[in-house]
Parts: sequence; C-alpha cells; structure tokens
Amino acid sequence: MKKFSEKQTGILSLSDLKTVKGKLLYWFFFAVLCLTCVITVFPAIWTVLTAFKDTQEIYEAFSIFPRDLSWNNIVRRVSESWNILQLSDEIVNTIVLSLGNLVFKIVVCGFGGYVLSKLKPTGTKLIFTLVVWTMMMPSQIRMVPNYISWLHFPFATDNGMGINLLDTYWPMWLGSGGDTFAVLLFKNAFDALSDSYVEAAKLDGCSNYGVFFKIMLPLAMPIIIYESIGVLSGAWSDFFTPLLVLDKNVVVPLRIYRLQGDSSTQMNTYFMALVFASIPPFLIFAIFQKRIMGGINIGGVKG
Amino acid sequence: MKLRQVLQQNKSMSQTRRRMRRRNNIDAWVLMLPMVIILYLFVWRPTVLGGVWSFFRMSGYSVGEFCGIDNYKMVLSHTQFMPMLWNTIQYVLWSLLIGFLPPLVIAIMVDEIVHFKSGFRVLIYLPTVIPGIAAMLMWYFMYYPDQTGLLNMLLSKIGVDPYLWLNDPKFAIIGIVIYSTWKAFPGTMLLYFAALQGVSSELYEAALIDGAGSFKRFWHVTRPGIEGLLLLNVVRQIISVFQVMEAPMAMTGGGPNGASTPLSLQLYRYGFNSGGKGTGQAMALGVIIFVILIVFTIFYFWLNRKVENRH
Repeated sequence: MKKFSEKQTGILSLSDLKTVKGKLLYWFFFAVLCLTCVITVFPAIWTVLTAFKDTQEIYEAFSIFPRDLSWNNIVRRVSESWNILQLSDEIVNTIVLSLGNLVFKIVVCGFGGYVLSKLKPTGTKLIFTLVVWTMMMPSQIRMVPNYISWLHFPFATDNGMGINLLDTYWPMWLGSGGDTFAVLLFKNAFDALSDSYVEAAKLDGCSNYGVFFKIMLPLAMPIIIYESIGVLSGAWSDFFTPLLVLDKNVVVPLRIYRLQGDSSTQMNTYFMALVFASIPPFLIFAIFQKRIMGGINIGGVKG
Repeated sequence: MKLRQVLQQNKSMSQTRRRMRRRNNIDAWVLMLPMVIILYLFVWRPTVLGGVWSFFRMSGYSVGEFCGIDNYKMVLSHTQFMPMLWNTIQYVLWSLLIGFLPPLVIAIMVDEIVHFKSGFRVLIYLPTVIPGIAAMLMWYFMYYPDQTGLLNMLLSKIGVDPYLWLNDPKFAIIGIVIYSTWKAFPGTMLLYFAALQGVSSELYEAALIDGAGSFKRFWHVTRPGIEGLLLLNVVRQIISVFQVMEAPMAMTGGGPNGASTPLSLQLYRYGFNSGGKGTGQAMALGVIIFVILIVFTIFYFWLNRKVENRH
C-alpha cells in the first residue's frame, strides 16, 4: 500500500491510516464509493444490454444478460434498430440546433458579461440588478407570454406584422442567448482577469473591440470552452422547448419523448433509441473529460 | 500667458477625455445591446406581461378584456389545487431528504481516498452525461411494474413479488425524486469536491498537532469551510425542485390519478393542453408560483451576501 504515503492530511491523516480503526474507515469509504459507482453505472449498462436482446427475450427471460452477446448479434441489432428508427435527420437537426445555441450563448452572453464586468458604461448597475433578479425568478411565469410572442415575433401581441417562429429553431437559439446564469458566469470570469490588461492595451492604441477580441477572449478561453460543452450537450437533452415549438423538423430528445406514446415501437428498439440518443453527449464528454472535471472550479455561479 | 496655455491644454485634455468616455460608452452599449434586447424580449417583457395578463380574459393566445381576479379564482378553486400544491411540497421535502446528503458524503469520501481517485470521479459523473430525457425513460423502464423492469427483475431473483413502483400513488413522487437525485448528485458532488479541495491542508495539519481526531477535524475544519456553499445549494435546490415539471411529465404523466402532478405540470396543461381555454389560468398560476418562491429568492440573496462577506 505504497500509495498511502501520498495521502494529505484531511479528515483522515497518514497516522490514522496506521491504526486499525483508521484503516477500517478508509476501506469503508472505498467500499461505499465502489457501491456508488455500481449505482451510477449499472442502469446504463442494463439499458445497453437490453437493447441487444430480442423482444421475445425481454418478455420471457427476465435476465440481465442477453442470451446472445456475439459480435454478429450486436451488429444485427444495431443496424436493425437504426433502420426502424431512421434518426439521421434528427441528428443533423440537433447538431444545427446546438451550434446555433452555441453562437448565441457565446456572442450574446459573453459580450454582455464582458461589458458588465470591464467596460461598465452608464446604466450598468440597472442592467446588472435586473439580470441578477431575473436569474432566480421561476421561468413558469413567462412560459405562456413567451409562446405568444413566438407567434408574432418580435411583438408581444398579434398586430398583423409579426413573424411566426413556430417550427423554426429561432425560439431555442434566441432563448439560448437570454440565459442570465451564463451572463453572470461570464461576468465572474472576466472579473477574475486583471483590469491592467485592458489599460495596457488601450495605452498601446488598441480599440475597445480590439481589447475584447485580441486580449480578453483568449484569456477567457477556459470558461468559454466550459460553457460550450454545456451548450452542445444540452441540446441533446432538452425536449421541453422543442415540444412547444417544433413539429416537422424535430430533434433527437423530442423524438425520444414522442416514442413513449408510440406503441408500435418494440421494446428492444426503444432501448436502442435511448442508447443512440446518449452517444453524442458521451462523445463530447470523452473528448473534453479533463475540461469538464476541472471546469467546475470556474463553474460556480455567484449572484 | 503661461497660465492661459496651461488652462487651454487642460480644457482640451478634459475634452478628449470626455470624448473618450462617450466613445467607450457607445462601444460598450453596442457590445451589450444584443444581450439587453434578447433579455428584454425573452425574459423581462414576458415576466411583466405574465403578471399583467393574468388579470385578463384570454381567448386562446390572444388577449381579451380585463376580468379582475377571475383567473386566480378559477385556479384556486380547482378541486385539485391543494393536492397539487401538497405534491409540489412533497417533491421539495423528499428531494431534501434523499438528495441532500449523498453529494456531500460522496464528495468527502472521494476527497479522502487516494486509490482510484480520478476513476471514481469519472464513473460517478456518468449519470450527468446521459441526456435528461433518455435517463428519465431509462428509469421509467427500471420502475416498470412487471418483471421486464430492472427493479422487479432483481426483486424476483431474491423471491420477492413485483412491486408497482411508479404506479403506486404513494411511491410515485419518491420514485421521481430518486431518479432526479441519481441524475443530479454527481454535478453537485463535483461542486462540493472543488470546495473541499479549497480547504487548506495546513489547517488539518494544525488540528492534527492539537490532537483533534477524525470527527473533530471534520467538525471544526471541514464544516466551516463548506457550510456556506451547502446552505446556498439547499436554497437553490428548494427553488428549482419547486418548479419540477419535465420528469413527472415524461415518467408518470402526473399520475396515477394525479398523485404526482406538481403545480408546474398543471401550468403546462392550462397553457398548452386545454384547447386554449386555460391560458389565463396558466399565467395566474405562474404568478402564484412566483409569489411563493420570491420569499426563498430574497432569502437566497441575503444568504449569498452573507457568505461572500465572510470570505
């Protein structure tokens, strides 16, 4: 047990770990964590395994492992379900939606956070107070008024001139920019960067825009990447706004939600749909795993 | 002569400075304008209109004439209003009971462990990666009332009869809260974990030298380091669970017999599932939820200021 020497003193210390009681406590912690991993991972594994079963088997065998877990069977089940589900349009739609969300989130909230943090023009205080107060307000109060304004955008009521935004991605895209949490997150990130960068660059004749694009943006990259990961994977998860807005060009989460009421889909295909829907966020997680795990330090939102 | 020159110079300098400040103001507002417009259109205006229109008779999605507090009367006199309010409170209470300790305990344990530390973090984070709707339906099938469901399958292995799970009115809310805890605790766990890492190990060393045992170190070093964050998170949890809607919508549809319908789901039904008859009531209910939560929101900000002042 060489690794114990790396132990920093916390609730348990190195000297504790030499006593029987301390060792017991340590390995008790270890066991609890193993159990937690089983709880977090097992439902996902069960879903994948069930997706590989035949329908008949699901209703009869009641076992966790499928009878036939050979490579051929897996390939057969995947291609069979893919042919039934035909998710490719939805996947393209979700990618388009998530990229639009990303652009609006970064441009609108990023710029806003930067101005509130560093430039502070006249009126900053009022805007900031409004942002903070609306952050904690329940979104339910604006659900119906928002829907009404989507029908005659940008007007609040029907005056015959507005544009109907239903069945487009604009409500989601614009809504992604109206995220007060993200504005505050960016503001806090820019607050952490020293003002002297701005002053130094201005003395060298850099314009306000130049300061932002050449200096502040690169320095704020960690928070931008952190926020981007959240936005990109969020689009694969949110079904509620698409449920209100989209009808024809649906996205993956909405399709999954609709499958529930569709009795013609077989159980195993259904489980495969859940697996398919989870693959893109998993890829994002696998690529950015280090960023996500480290990013939580900057992820804390302060009011 | 000299004095005049200096004055002249001063004047032109203050002029350039003023011009620069104006230029800064304009540049800043140009950069901030998209945010202000979008927040106005999507957050501020609808919030105010929701309050105003809750006093108007709505026909579908167009505004009719003023009708006083009719909408509120209809919402409050709905036979299911009190049960739904109680359901919502139950969601909050159960989520505090089931969901408060796990992220804290796991964060402390991960912080104390040296073996397989990063592996634990990645594996425990998994539920957060699965998209919400997929995870909800996964749990819907785990709770399935016959033996195709995972939980009943496991029960049958140890010889116990299948249980109804979400179809049992007494269990439905607990079941949904168990799911949301499973889904959300890893994120909270990482937040606490980061805070725990911020507690200086020198404090622990000093406590150790003073002869403090494990529990005393936890109580006098760990606890003060994270209790502010804990409290803030609890208030935030109350506010967000009070608005729970998507999980009951996808997992139980509010059933069985309305036993798991929270207020927000009823608001959705008023707004979008009533054939346009209930839009006014939807906004009135929104205002009611708002009024209930504003107390917690004010408490949150007060607490937040206090916690920040301490650091």
